[in-house]
Amino acid sequence: MVPCAAVHVAMLADPPLVGYRCSPMSETLSRTDPMPADDALVRVRGLTTRLGDRVVFDGLDLEIPRGKVTAIMGPSGTGKTTLLKHITGQMQADAGEVLVDGRDVARLSREGLFTLRERIGYLFQNSALLTDFDVYENVAFPLRQHTRLPEELIRNIVLTKLQAVGLRGAARLMPSELSGGMARRVALARAIVFDPMLILYDEPFVGLDPIALNQVLKLISTLNQTLGITSVLVAHELAAIQRVADRVILIANGKVVASGDPQHIAQDGSPWTRQFFGGEADGPVPFHYPADDYAVDLGLKEPA
Amino acid sequence: MNARVKPRNILVDGLAQIGEAGLFLPTLLAAVPRSLRYFRETVRQIWFVGAMSLIIIMTSGLFVGMVLALQLYHVLAIFGGTASTGTVVALAVYRELGPVVTALLFAGRAGTSITAEIGLMRATDQLSAMEMMAVDPVAYVATPRFLAGVVAMPLLCCVFSAMAILGGHLVGVTWLGIDNGTFWSNMTSNVHVWKDVIDGVVWKSLAFGAVVSLISVHQGYTTPPTSEGVAYATTRTVVASSIAILALDFVLTAFMM
Amino acid sequence: MTQRRSYAVGTGLFIVLGFAALAYLATQTTTLVNMDGGATYSVTASFTNVGQLKDRAPVKMAGVRIGSVSSIQLDPKSLNARVTMDINKRFDQIPADSSASVLTSGLLGDQYIGIQPGGSPENLKNGSQIILTQSAIQLEDLIGKFLVNGSPNSKKGK
Repeated sequence: MVPCAAVHVAMLADPPLVGYRCSPMSETLSRTDPMPADDALVRVRGLTTRLGDRVVFDGLDLEIPRGKVTAIMGPSGTGKTTLLKHITGQMQADAGEVLVDGRDVARLSREGLFTLRERIGYLFQNSALLTDFDVYENVAFPLRQHTRLPEELIRNIVLTKLQAVGLRGAARLMPSELSGGMARRVALARAIVFDPMLILYDEPFVGLDPIALNQVLKLISTLNQTLGITSVLVAHELAAIQRVADRVILIANGKVVASGDPQHIAQDGSPWTRQFFGGEADGPVPFHYPADDYAVDLGLKEPA
Repeated sequence: MNARVKPRNILVDGLAQIGEAGLFLPTLLAAVPRSLRYFRETVRQIWFVGAMSLIIIMTSGLFVGMVLALQLYHVLAIFGGTASTGTVVALAVYRELGPVVTALLFAGRAGTSITAEIGLMRATDQLSAMEMMAVDPVAYVATPRFLAGVVAMPLLCCVFSAMAILGGHLVGVTWLGIDNGTFWSNMTSNVHVWKDVIDGVVWKSLAFGAVVSLISVHQGYTTPPTSEGVAYATTRTVVASSIAILALDFVLTAFMM
Repeated sequence: MTQRRSYAVGTGLFIVLGFAALAYLATQTTTLVNMDGGATYSVTASFTNVGQLKDRAPVKMAGVRIGSVSSIQLDPKSLNARVTMDINKRFDQIPADSSASVLTSGLLGDQYIGIQPGGSPENLKNGSQIILTQSAIQLEDLIGKFLVNGSPNSKKGK
């Protein structure tokens, strides 16, 4: 219940309300930061994952720098969401390791994992607001579950976060009354309620009109710049990504095929980037799903 | 994908379902200590599955009692035993109809809504979201609903039975003219507290409550995250619960006799 | 918060209603009703045959319940059934020469003990014995008698 750094204040237009972080968490934060000097918050080494027969990741190596916005791109079905699930420990890899803030996620106990997750915000593609509760209670939910703060304090924190996403006036609406963009902003308010060190955005731009898209973009960069929250974006929209991301990682066939700064990655000359950013139908990602010989399938030719 | 859609052997499928649900029970029970933190949620669920089912339970109980009295009066009249109408209504309701009909109604009213609710929470990533907010969805979502069902069922069964007695009295005494004193004294000299009321209304319905809640929660929790999956799981809750109730009823009755 | 509290109140009401229903079922519709509250005194009576009389069967006088049967045993000497009854202390003015009989409520009903008052100035006390008794009427005997005696007569009458 220690009022922590008044960082939120910077984001507020209205009379500043000081944000609070529950004390156990700030203790965890300071106690368990092993190497603050390490500039990669997330390190993935040799990650190999199979789902059934399909190899999703084949020795994937990547690093996500602290305090930056990193976009992860790739053709559909390359396991971008799966990668996020590895980072949060919702999935276990077959080989390799995922280090978040210096700790191997796969080796954490259930409690350790939950402690870690309290420090990670996750924005689901469909917002995943709890339909039983109104906007206010949705944002208050993590606070009520993990702290015993007095109601007044919870109210302050929730309204601060809602103000940050511009939806303080919508506090008493139910999730079913929200538009897609509003729901996503509420989900974002909920994701930052504990002032996480890392936010994972799973397809944050899908299905948004240009206005909502710009609002979300503005929020992502504001959160990153004012609070220094490391952000990971999984998205397809290069134009949008170029406006917020510091770095782009392109994944295909279970490996990183290209990475670099978003303005220039499209011109790096590799066939992957040419097909992906050029939107070509055929290329390293084939147009045809693997199949037997066409003529054999049609019965025009004897199988070899 | 095809392998999953292909209709499987009903027997194998049924056994697999029983096995999976049975394996889910320890998970649910293991989460009970953790779900005590969400005691409020359990209270809220008792309201939803219990109190919200009261109207259907009370109406059904009243009519079951009324029709029983009407039928039995005319059958017993053949033997000149209309005085026992109240006794037979009470025994039939306490031992069988109360727990069984309440459980069937409960499966249709509360069980399906539990399944659909949890299934939709799964389909809209709400369960994953809870996990990401470091809230255990079993302890927060599944166990409170299970416990609420176990608590609510016997209470609903008591209300159902009381309404049935009232309905029986209404038809037997008020309408068909059985003497009020005869109606009650005959009942009170033949109905036993432990053998009839506690064994039937309390223990049986407790068992049914556990089975129906387990099936509902399990079906919801393992719903494929599609609208078709939710619809299918809801149907399966009703079918599986009904079969389980009737089969378990026979087993329990055989043990209690 | 008010929303949460209303759930709690509603749930509380529901639980109270359920338990009230259970209490009603258990105490008003079962043999518990017949558990006579208050002090009792016990009286015995011997019958040559008690028929289907059971423990806890009611003891009635003029159709009103005054107590219940507490035990039925065979007297090893007289080979009669010895029935002990607990009678409520409120009914302490029953003449000592009253008679007891095993009766049936209706054709198919349960059996109970009916007490017909006598005229003695003395009353039954704890431990007294009712001398005048009438055993249960056995339906089988009645039917037997009817078959042996009744049917030829009715034929003759025609």
